[in-house]
Parts: sequence; C-alpha cells; structure tokens
Amino acid sequence: MPMVLLKCDKDIPEREKHIYLKAPDEDTNSHLPLSNAATIPGTLSERGCAFCGAKLVIGGVVKDAIQMIHGPIGCAYDTWHTKRYPSDNGHFQMKYVWSTDMKESHIVFGGEKRLAKSIHEAFDEMPEVKRMFVYTTCPTALIGDDVKAVAKKVMEERPDVDIFTVECPGFSGVSQSKGHHVLNIGWIDEKVGTLEPKITSPYTMNFIGDFNIQGDSQLLQTYWDRLGIQVIAHFTGNANYDDLRGMHRAQLNVVNCARSSGYIANELKKRYGIPRLDIDSWGFNYMAEGVRKIGTFFGVEDKAEELIAEEYAKWKPKLDWYKERLVGTKMAIWTGGPRLWHWTKSVEDDLGVQVVAMSSKFGHEEDFEKVIARGREGTYYIDDGNELEFFEIIDLVKPDVIFTGGRVGEIVKKLHIPYVNGHAYHNGPYMGFEGFVNLARDMYNAVHNPLLKLAATDPRGEQKVAFLEAAE
Amino acid sequence: MTSKLDNLFDYVQERCLWQFASRTWDRTENIEGVLKQVGVLLKKQQSTAETPAERLHLADAKVLVNDCRQRYDWVNAIPPEEVDLVLDGLKDRLLDVTITRSKNRELNHSLY
Repeated sequence: MPMVLLKCDKDIPEREKHIYLKAPDEDTNSHLPLSNAATIPGTLSERGCAFCGAKLVIGGVVKDAIQMIHGPIGCAYDTWHTKRYPSDNGHFQMKYVWSTDMKESHIVFGGEKRLAKSIHEAFDEMPEVKRMFVYTTCPTALIGDDVKAVAKKVMEERPDVDIFTVECPGFSGVSQSKGHHVLNIGWIDEKVGTLEPKITSPYTMNFIGDFNIQGDSQLLQTYWDRLGIQVIAHFTGNANYDDLRGMHRAQLNVVNCARSSGYIANELKKRYGIPRLDIDSWGFNYMAEGVRKIGTFFGVEDKAEELIAEEYAKWKPKLDWYKERLVGTKMAIWTGGPRLWHWTKSVEDDLGVQVVAMSSKFGHEEDFEKVIARGREGTYYIDDGNELEFFEIIDLVKPDVIFTGGRVGEIVKKLHIPYVNGHAYHNGPYMGFEGFVNLARDMYNAVHNPLLKLAATDPRGEQKVAFLEAAE
Repeated sequence: MTSKLDNLFDYVQERCLWQFASRTWDRTENIEGVLKQVGVLLKKQQSTAETPAERLHLADAKVLVNDCRQRYDWVNAIPPEEVDLVLDGLKDRLLDVTITRSKNRELNHSLY
C-alpha cells in the first residue's frame, strides 16, 4: 500500500508523504512517513513551538528552580500548568509562573535591563531558591537580547545562585522537538560535570525521559529503591537542578522518552562512556523487561525477579479484569511521538486493544521506524496530523477511544467519541505495573461511559433549527 | 535455517529498541554487541561481559534469548555449530533493514 492522500488533503497533496497505511509484508524500508519537516502551508498543524518543547516538556519540570521566561506574558501562561507533573516539595514549579512581561517599549529599547531586574526580583522574592532557568522567546531573540551575558552578570553579583539559559525561541525549529534538542545539548555542554553527586549505592543510574506525569517518576523510584539502585538524576521528573549537574557519575542511563531526551543519553555515552539502555515504562510486559535488564546490568537479577513477581501478584488480576472488558477495543493514539511506539504493542499484548490509527506531532523518522516495526497492519501512521485529517481518519477506522491532548480531546468529545488524555493522563500515573492498571481503568471508564450516548441525544428533535455553516 | 532467521528477525523488529538507536554507528554497535552475547548464551558458554557496554548488551541478550526460548521450541535445541550461521544471517538482515536500506534521513548526521 502506498502512502495515503486523504480526500481532505486534495489541495495540499504534499501531505501524502506524511500518512502511511501499513499493508501486509511491508516494513520500514517500504514506506516511512516524512517527519520532523516543516509544516506544509495550508495545513493547520497542531504542533507546539520550540520554546514550548524546552520549557513545558523538560525545563519546567525541575522542581527547585525559577523558570524565568523572557518574553510577553502569553509565552509564560501557555507553557504553565497545562501538564501535570507534581513534585515532592509541594509542587513549587507548578504553583508559580515567572515572566519578564515584555511590552512594546522593551522591544523597541531592548529587554536586557528588564531581564536583569526580573531575575533579581525573583531571587529577592524567593530567597530560599538559588537556581533558575532563563528562556528566550521569539521577540527577545529577534531583538538580540544577550541573555547569557545578563545571567553571567547576575551570577557574579549573586555567587550563591546558578542560572541556566535556554536560547530556543519558538521559531527556531519545525516543532517542539527542537526545544528538546536545544535544552539537552545546552545542559550537557554547560551544567553536567559542574557538581559532584553524593554516591550512596554501588549501583547508580540516570533515569532519562520521564517527567513525573501525575507521579510516574515517583512510582518508578519505588522500584529502583527496592533494587538498591541510586538514581543520580531523573531527567527531569521530580528532579533537583543540582542532581542534574551530576549525571556524569552514573553507571547506566536508562531512557524512556527517547525523542525528548535521547540526545543527552547519547552525549553521556559519547563523552563519559555511560551506556544507554532504552526501555518502555508503560505496560506490564515491557516494564518487567525493563526491570529485568536493569537488574541484569547491575547483577541484582534475584531482586528484580522478586519485584516483578510481587507486582504481578498485586496488579495483574486487576489488569486482567479490565482486559476482559476491553478486548477488541479500537484505539487511536494522537500524541507527541514516542507514545505511539511505547503503547501500540503494550495495549495489544496486555489489554487486547487494537491500535487503528496513530498520529505524531513532533516524532522523527526514527520514531516511525519503531512504531511501524511494532504496529499493526491496516493501521494509519500519520505525521503532523491536522484536524480535517482526524475527522476523515475517524470515519475510516471508527475508533472506540482516542488518547490525545486536551485541545484535540475537546473536538473528539463533541463527536461523542470517548477521549483519554494521552499527554497529561486522566488519573495517572500510567507508568509501571500499577500505572498501567490506571490506564486500563481510564480506558474502560471512557469506553463504557453511558453519558456519551446521552450527550449525543438532541432533545429538540424535529424542532431543531439547523444553522448552515458558511462553507455548506 | 530461513525460518529460524525469520523468527528471530520478527522478534527483534517487534521488541527490541536497541536496533533503532539514533545513528548508524550506534545501531551497528548495538546489533553486533547484543548478537555476540546472544551467541554466547545460545551456545551455553560463559559470558565474559566486563565493560559497561558489554554488560548492557548481555542484559539485552538475556531477555531476547529467554523470550525466544519460550516462543520457539527450536531455540532450545539448536546445535552450537548452527548458532553462528543463524546469527550471522540475522546480523546481516538487521544491518540491511535498519541501516543500509533505512529511509531515516538522520542516521548519518555527524552530531546528535
């Protein structure tokens, strides 16, 4: 089967290169959706910007740092609180938002003084906080504000503070993926190796690409504690700024989200010789495999098997209860990128769910290699999907449930199709054994929720006044 | 032998993230490193994994071998002299699919 040109894309035929329907006996050499490419004019992309990828996804998760956004106030609000990544220090990073609130006069006359003033003001207001991320945004990058020079001067004036600058304006890449990249490389270039961690175990690792969505990192941490493994740094779920400066001392890098954070794992391997283990943290079978591999690497296989047995005994019966009721459910996954390949087989193997369509906002071709190798035949694989394409795909595959973000989720709900938040979760955590039961429960509640059918009933009946859309 | 190779190739494609590392050199290192350890395990030899990279490849290999022992009966009975033949074929096919004929345009970028 060739790449697919949907009917709604007849005026933007370039979209054919981004949509693939897997046919029998085809592999990743047959077809691969073009991805991490500029959005085609005429398509209403649902991507975020590069700044968002740096701040909302990675930097903003760090629990003990001020997140100073050098730009208009909207850049701050729109990357705050839209993901739920709690922390064990009272959710400091979610309670506050910081911005230099750039106005027209600052754009005209330059914003460096305003940035310096804002940094001092933030540290003065929160004297117990000594760490900060500073982000450029589109306007402050365009006017050439030198944020590194400002940060350096502040650090000279305040020797007890440390500031990391992220120069990643929204326009600097084709999607939020660029922001992941810039922050990864910036962090290892400027911060890793600048602080020696306290080693408390003969077994040390970094856990990379997990952002503590509704407690993912904290749940997985209980596993590593039981294995006696010290996690030097979580990149960046529930993480301290200074822990992340000590990543160079780990013996192993375990990577979950390879798309957002694979760069730093690769660099840690290249510069410090730390091997990289990629695992899937969602799903019973996958989680057990990850725990086994980590246990083998450190020579604690017995503890790993004990952990797996305990978790299976505790959670597998609950998972199976949902599986009985979810077998045959058709699922669509419209998320960022990696969850396509993390989830497509785990929901199939552990829950009997068939994934019939997947769309990635910012995945690269590597992500599509992974998902097409794992995914089903007859399933659509879409890069940078737009709203009209989603409507058409829904008609083609008729999913029973769609895992996607809040904004697309609202559209899905209006179509009376069950939706589960695939980014920030409905009721997580979703990682680990316990977490996958949560995912199964949320899917079950969504699919079997009677309210959707009731909501689809129009009480006006024949008296309904029909309004024609402008295009009709 | 072809069916045995097909079994292992299908398993690796479906399960193993190490084949899809970011760059050509990472994929090559992983495929060669893991399959070397798979050979050691299938031939029931003593593994000499010492470096961190070798220990990681051994960890990946153990899961592969244990899974395949459960999926395919022939894995439990394969004679040592056939192991290298099958694994050489598997290595060639994986390198061909994930590197040589890969459509991934980022594979040979000099930077991460």
